Amino acid sequence: MNRARRIVPATLVVALTACTGTAELRTGGAEGPASSEPSSASPSVTPTPSAQAAPEPDLDLARSETREDSYYPEVGDPLVDALHYDLDLAWDPAARTLTGAQTLTFRATEDAGSVRLDLGAPLEVSEATLDGDPVTTSRDGDALLVRAPVRADVEHELRLAYAGSPEPVGVPTTRTDFSSTGWTVTPAGETWTMQEPWGAHTWYAVNDHPSDKALYDVTMRVPAPWTGVSNGELLERTEADGQTTTRWHLAEPAAPYLVTAAFANYEMTEDVSGSGVPLTYWTPRDRPALKAALAVTPEAMDWLEDLLGPYPYDTFGTVVVDSDSAMETQTMVTLGDTPYTTSPEVVVHELAHHWYGNQVTPTDWADLWMNEGMAMYLQGMWEAEQRGVEVGVVMDEWAPSEAQYRAESGPPGAYDRGAFASSNVYYGPALMFHELRERVGDEAFFAMARGWPAANDNGNATRQEFLDFIESSTGEELSDFFDAWLLGETTPSRD
Amino acid sequence: MAPAAPPAPDELDDLAHRARAGESAALDELLAALRPRILHICRGVLPYTPDAEDACQEAMLSVATKLGSWHGQGRVTSWVHVVALNAARSTYRRMKNQAVASGAAGDPASPALDRPDPRTTSVIAGTRLDLLEAMETLEREHPQFVEPLLLRDVYGLAYADIAEQTGAPLGTVKAQIHHGRKLVRPMLRESS
Repeated sequence: MNRARRIVPATLVVALTACTGTAELRTGGAEGPASSEPSSASPSVTPTPSAQAAPEPDLDLARSETREDSYYPEVGDPLVDALHYDLDLAWDPAARTLTGAQTLTFRATEDAGSVRLDLGAPLEVSEATLDGDPVTTSRDGDALLVRAPVRADVEHELRLAYAGSPEPVGVPTTRTDFSSTGWTVTPAGETWTMQEPWGAHTWYAVNDHPSDKALYDVTMRVPAPWTGVSNGELLERTEADGQTTTRWHLAEPAAPYLVTAAFANYEMTEDVSGSGVPLTYWTPRDRPALKAALAVTPEAMDWLEDLLGPYPYDTFGTVVVDSDSAMETQTMVTLGDTPYTTSPEVVVHELAHHWYGNQVTPTDWADLWMNEGMAMYLQGMWEAEQRGVEVGVVMDEWAPSEAQYRAESGPPGAYDRGAFASSNVYYGPALMFHELRERVGDEAFFAMARGWPAANDNGNATRQEFLDFIESSTGEELSDFFDAWLLGETTPSRD
Repeated sequence: MAPAAPPAPDELDDLAHRARAGESAALDELLAALRPRILHICRGVLPYTPDAEDACQEAMLSVATKLGSWHGQGRVTSWVHVVALNAARSTYRRMKNQAVASGAAGDPASPALDRPDPRTTSVIAGTRLDLLEAMETLEREHPQFVEPLLLRDVYGLAYADIAEQTGAPLGTVKAQIHHGRKLVRPMLRESS
């Protein structure tokens, strides 16, 4: 966690310098007067290239213990421990094509004769080098095979050039608000992506598994006045030769399902939380009501920080897209543009995931409940507070449906493989956390709730690690309690 | 990811039919599913959350006790729109009467509710005060215009859905909305 907060001066971020050079010139070198100046956060009013140099990524932060998924082993490959993705994405809304240049820095976890990454079949790779040498690649459906040897625990650099018209891929879900994941194009040629569980590989080559967190630098190019939005801090936004270029830097590692990328005609609004976290809202320029809906964000941030401790990242933002769902994409939440997905409850839910899901991420899709259970409980607490009722009242309202969700989609800790992210992994674990709170008291419960993400900052965790932490933090023996709530066929009795 | 969005209108219709036939589990599920939708409708005219909550409770009670009066052919969500709207308006009237009784509305500093004192009573602080007042006025003269106008301009229902809900021919509905707008427009503040 980077505790020291850096306020990014608005003038620096949004400086639109249409008068000099191309985007390539802004990354440094001797082209402009700004290049000789330090890239510290001193606001500049001169219309010179205003880019901040991308900070050198700390690759050690991104080392992961990769694994094969117990639920969906067909996606991801534990050979690759991705450390840093540098993506340069050019979107052509008229032709609906994406042209990408990617540099992936990764650690091989063992010796191997070739490397397998996930990459959507519609994307064609035109060039590939490994550590500077040209390499042969081949495709097998949504897999990219790089025919070159790698050595265990050695860092390698894979460069790819690719292009195509990305398509979303299916998800084994019974939900009605989404059925596919990944890069999605609207009739107007705007794009957005929500990619839980494995939509990332629809637009870049990735080890598409939550156990493999990595750092990101993303450059996005699109015809003006449209803008590309991604995760992290906006280092640069320039308009030149009819094209908008944005550069995004994510300073702390994210799992692939927490990455976002959207191109549209966006308006940017800046805000700040009570604790000084810089907030940005990216909303369609012609939909002012959506911007108004996000005004609850500082209040939600203050409320959650009060319960869970300081927000674990340097910046927060929200991008609104043409979807019926909402996703906790790291430091830049992606919300659908419906009244439901822009409601205060959903804003709170997605922000809560920054502690539960993003700061500490499950190593395996079997444990989606670890994210959704706590986010849902916090959402329930928020709803209760807004309504002026005890949180128990909200839990009583949820309980009857919980029994049905469990019957339909299985217990939250052993859900049906065809029912990814069904309501069973949300409501049952939320009720469980409430029962736990009643049992151990507020002080012990919230000490646990604050302690867990902080103890696993930028990490991954298994179910056993989480349950062990809860037991040691609260001093209670809870194995029967957890078994009943997570693995039981029916809702356990509630106090 | 956000929890699954509230059930689609088809699923709600199915639940409502089963609830009307006496299946109590279906009624529970229907009410739970409708609650966010009803609250959203009430918030549309009563921005102060506790007032919207009161109206929402009233509407939920009405749905539970008067589901039999839903004619079962149109969408249950259209019927619920009207129930929620009526609950929001009756909550507004009740709050206003309390405000009047406590002297807030007669305060010379805030004549005729035009510049309400937001400290006195929550509903008066609502930004749609002018709209609700306009609807009260419209109801005295042309009560048949109120429901179509609110359904169209506040809740964005399609004309066809409004016709189905009110049982009036499409042309009539369009005319009612047109005339209603002309009457109401001068009563609304610029900002709304």
